[in-house]
Amino acid sequence: MTRHYSAALPIAYVLLRILILINWLAGVAILALLVLTPNEQWILSAFKIAPSADASRLVMGLRAVAVLGLCTIPINYLILKRLLAMVETVRAGDPFVAANASRLQTIAWALLALQLFGLVIALIGNAVSTPAHPVDLHTSFSVNGWLAVLLTFVLARVFAEGAQMRDELEGTV
Amino acid sequence: MAIAVKLDDLLHDRRMTLTELAERVGITIVNLSILKTGKARAIRFSTLEAICAALACQPGDILEFLPGPAGAES
Repeated sequence: MTRHYSAALPIAYVLLRILILINWLAGVAILALLVLTPNEQWILSAFKIAPSADASRLVMGLRAVAVLGLCTIPINYLILKRLLAMVETVRAGDPFVAANASRLQTIAWALLALQLFGLVIALIGNAVSTPAHPVDLHTSFSVNGWLAVLLTFVLARVFAEGAQMRDELEGTV
Repeated sequence: MAIAVKLDDLLHDRRMTLTELAERVGITIVNLSILKTGKARAIRFSTLEAICAALACQPGDILEFLPGPAGAES
């Protein structure tokens, strides 16, 4: 068990650091896409789409999705940064602290926000999709995502109780 | 605190040091010191039993209830 932990923790630590970097890179890429795509005509010709009312709506929808995607970058960072801090407390041998309960609570709210962003993006995708220009944003409803939100809220509560119990035990002689 | 720990008086009566008691009871001197200074939040029956055995006394000789406002801290 101890050996299992000793391997998992450094991997998690490195992986989270890499994910933080990838998240920022994704943010820069989305921002570049939004700022550097010169105009609607350019986008339409890049996708070889004939100008029409539907095509304009499609471009507007894709821009809205990009803006929403950009909004998720700080949320992802918030989750990853807190997970990293939690991993550090496990490495230090003191994970059952009130700070971790609060971190999990924040992560749960952030996951909920990401789920809602996903819903809005799916709605935009459906709204701008036409038989001529089908849009598939791969944002089908996932029970797993919502379960993860619920699980994280429950875990945050478990951690809060655990931290309180440990606190009480510390004063027991 | 409403519960007073009279370990100091007992140790004085028995001519015993905290270190000696810690060795006999089998708990660290730090924990025993926490108990002695009234900073402990709870005491295990096993600890109480070991202290009673080491000092040849009753739990009532170690702990004393001081009437006062509920939950009042000294």
